[in-house]
Amino acid sequence: MSRHLLKFNVNGKDHALVVESHERLLDVLRDRLGLKGTKEGCSTGDCGICAVLMDGKLVNSCLVIAIQARNKKITTIEAIGTSEQLHPLQREFIKWNASQCGFCIPAMILASKNLLDHKPSPTDEEIKQATRGIICRCTGYHSMINAVRAAALEMKKQ
Amino acid sequence: MAEKHGTRPDAPQLVLVGKSVERLDSVDKVLGKPIYTMDILPENCLYLKVVRSTHVHSLLKSVDVSKARNYPGVVQVITAADVPGINESTALLPDKPLLASDKVRFVGEPIAAIASYDPVIAEEAVDLVKIEYEDLRAVFSPLDAIESDAPKIHANGNIAKHLKLRKGNVEEGFKQADYVVEGTYKTQFQEPVPLEPEAGFVVPEPDGSVTCVGSMQSPFHVQTGIAKILSLPPQQVRVIQAATGGAFGPKSDEMPVDILGMAAIVALKTGKPTALAYTREESMIGHTKRHPFVIKLKAGVKKNGRLTAWEARLIADTGAYASLGPLVITRALFHATGPYEIPNVKSDSYCVYTNNTMAGSFRGFGGPQSHFAAESHVEEIAKRIGMDPLKFRRLNMLRPGCLTATSQLIDESCGLEECIEKVLEASDWHTKRNEYTKQTGTIRKGIGIAIMYHGNSLGPEGNDYVAVHMKIDKDGTIRFRTALTEYGTGATSGLLQIAAEVMHLPLRYFKLDPPDTDYCNDAGPTVASRTISVGGRASQMVAGKLHQRLKEIAARMLGCIVDEIESTNGSYYARERPEHSVSYLDVVKSAYEQGLELKVDDTFTAPKCEYDPETSQGTTYLQYTYGAVTAEVEVDTETGKVQVDKIVAAYDIGKAINPLSVEGQIEGGTVQGVGYGIMEELIHKDGVVLNPNLADYYVPTSMDVPEIKSILVEYPGHLGPYGAKVIGEPPIVLPAPAIVNAIDHAVGVRLSEIPATPDRVLLALKNMIAQPRS
Repeated sequence: MSRHLLKFNVNGKDHALVVESHERLLDVLRDRLGLKGTKEGCSTGDCGICAVLMDGKLVNSCLVIAIQARNKKITTIEAIGTSEQLHPLQREFIKWNASQCGFCIPAMILASKNLLDHKPSPTDEEIKQATRGIICRCTGYHSMINAVRAAALEMKKQ
Repeated sequence: MAEKHGTRPDAPQLVLVGKSVERLDSVDKVLGKPIYTMDILPENCLYLKVVRSTHVHSLLKSVDVSKARNYPGVVQVITAADVPGINESTALLPDKPLLASDKVRFVGEPIAAIASYDPVIAEEAVDLVKIEYEDLRAVFSPLDAIESDAPKIHANGNIAKHLKLRKGNVEEGFKQADYVVEGTYKTQFQEPVPLEPEAGFVVPEPDGSVTCVGSMQSPFHVQTGIAKILSLPPQQVRVIQAATGGAFGPKSDEMPVDILGMAAIVALKTGKPTALAYTREESMIGHTKRHPFVIKLKAGVKKNGRLTAWEARLIADTGAYASLGPLVITRALFHATGPYEIPNVKSDSYCVYTNNTMAGSFRGFGGPQSHFAAESHVEEIAKRIGMDPLKFRRLNMLRPGCLTATSQLIDESCGLEECIEKVLEASDWHTKRNEYTKQTGTIRKGIGIAIMYHGNSLGPEGNDYVAVHMKIDKDGTIRFRTALTEYGTGATSGLLQIAAEVMHLPLRYFKLDPPDTDYCNDAGPTVASRTISVGGRASQMVAGKLHQRLKEIAARMLGCIVDEIESTNGSYYARERPEHSVSYLDVVKSAYEQGLELKVDDTFTAPKCEYDPETSQGTTYLQYTYGAVTAEVEVDTETGKVQVDKIVAAYDIGKAINPLSVEGQIEGGTVQGVGYGIMEELIHKDGVVLNPNLADYYVPTSMDVPEIKSILVEYPGHLGPYGAKVIGEPPIVLPAPAIVNAIDHAVGVRLSEIPATPDRVLLALKNMIAQPRS
């Protein structure tokens, strides 16, 4: 085991932490930085609900060793919207009842945001592709697809 | 939608009920707020890791924890000997210990638990526990387990429960029949996969009591279980439900008691808050899944298509412990004919122990297995007598005036025919049914149908009551408290929607407090889709009383009698003088000034279901939800792969309190049902689960979902508020049989076993080529 200085940016804020070589990004976010919005569902990279954005790419934070985030920009759900001003994706997820138990929602919203960042007018097929790595056991996905499509329209208006 | 039944001429205009209002818990969820158990762990918490049996059926000769206890960083190790009260964590029968003491019955059974401030140390110490086993003969198939020479898993033998249904005279019925059609159908272990694995923590309080927080469905079931384990009076065990990331059944069974029971023992021993969270693998092995069934059916039918007799033998593998298996086989038994009227029925269901992992509650609760068998079998019967299967269904199915298998009279609230009409139309059934028979090539399309009924209310499953408490704060906030839990369906938001409707107030005044045994009365379990149907009645009743109290105060303020008071959208006035009104907030203020209490506590209890337990004849449920589903598939005859292209689903739900939520239940349940039909199977080999992870156990992803069309049909029932029927469970029932019937339509083979995986489909195709059906 060795210790490393992890300098990285999380949600626009620079951090410098000493991490162990085996520490997972997921644990650093949740336990060291207190960002509990990122959930753990399987710890084997199969369910996708720990997904965060790393330099604009969707990654399963349970499979990322913390030090791999060195000098990178991490975005978690905490950076998306506030209760006073929800992100259009969050508004549309609520409107379309795309959040049931809610456990996959942070990952779903980040995956969808990442898609819209790169493709402002995605097709349904592209929305499915972008969220395919994240399991939702409640909704059957249709309400999510509707919400992302609607949010894309909203964001274009703005 | 069923206008002729939907609105009674004297029905008051509804403002909120029937509208797709946004649910109350969404904002926290889309913002990723820390609301789930593992997000709110107390500081300086001990973590538990569970030592599990690696043997399938063995006597425990010794459990030596000394090495683990001495391992640096380990704070506490507990075994069965450390249970202060009764070593039991069960859902129904007293058959399952919290920690195994003399015997283990499945691979994965908890034997000890290790506590450390560092979960990695606790996990390391797991391997230091030395267990001596003496292996016993094991049995893995319920068909083997019921044989007289099978090894006994429990002292009373391997049949945990046998139930009988007897209607008419089945021998006589077979004599009247022109044809007798037999078939055997098999279903698999389906894993519920709530996305949040089981988790909980226990805080020891200075007065010797404990506070238990966790992911669960039924706080009072947990309270009873923990109190027994700790030998404490229930009021010394406070149970609070944290936001729960999916449940689907198992979180109403033993797992929350297992988790919090182990944590509570350690918390009391150490005086430290203690947490236990299962890994995905532990969750998939430990918690209850859908029972695999073997269902043998024998039907008698006349040339004219009328069913004369139906015999069913249902054998359910409940695994090493019964869990709610005896109740699952009850529901399966009562629905074993499918939604058909048959004068003579003889059914037997058996809940059988094996050395597999446990089966118990999962959305549908015996309904999916029974309907898969029945809805497959009616197609075979129709084929045998040369009748269109749809015509055959319509000839025999339940309509008002018919008697169910339990001899319950179907009343006017039966929308089954309309469900069928709606799905036929929306799926373009007749065209496709005809067109798809003319295909050539390796990819073949097919369309199939299945229909259902689903008994509403707990019925045989227990006393059906819900307590609701409502209190108005000084600022006008109405605190709504119930021990019914939210785990994703949105049904609790529906309770508040109903209360707001009754009180003629905007929804924004209502606030749902988290379920907590300290301030809630027992509401029974949050299962069987009962939140809206029974909880909604409690909400309606309590809101009605609180509304009356507000009207009394308003009457005094307005100088009239209470019967003259009308209210609308938070304002009260005397009928004759609408220009003089007082606002809701004025009324609350006045109440507080006078020292009047604005709170109501009450319990709604549904009527009891009465039936003869020897014959299962009588009233088994208080009303029924009906449904019809069509599935369109593409079968690749070279690879055996089945793709589900479209599902059209119509349900008679009585009254949709929140149509958007209802559609959410239909879509989500449909996709779980598609998974059940074509891909989901928890595979056991000699008692070992081969795929306890989400890489090898396939759950439908966004790429697997068909187009879904949901249709709501409304024939009001007598149980739920505004005529509402249940919808949480039914949507998982029909996709599997509809898909299997569509596969038959596409390629002419009947799969009698699900899921319809490529290998099963290929094998069936190969067998058909070898032995073409006449």
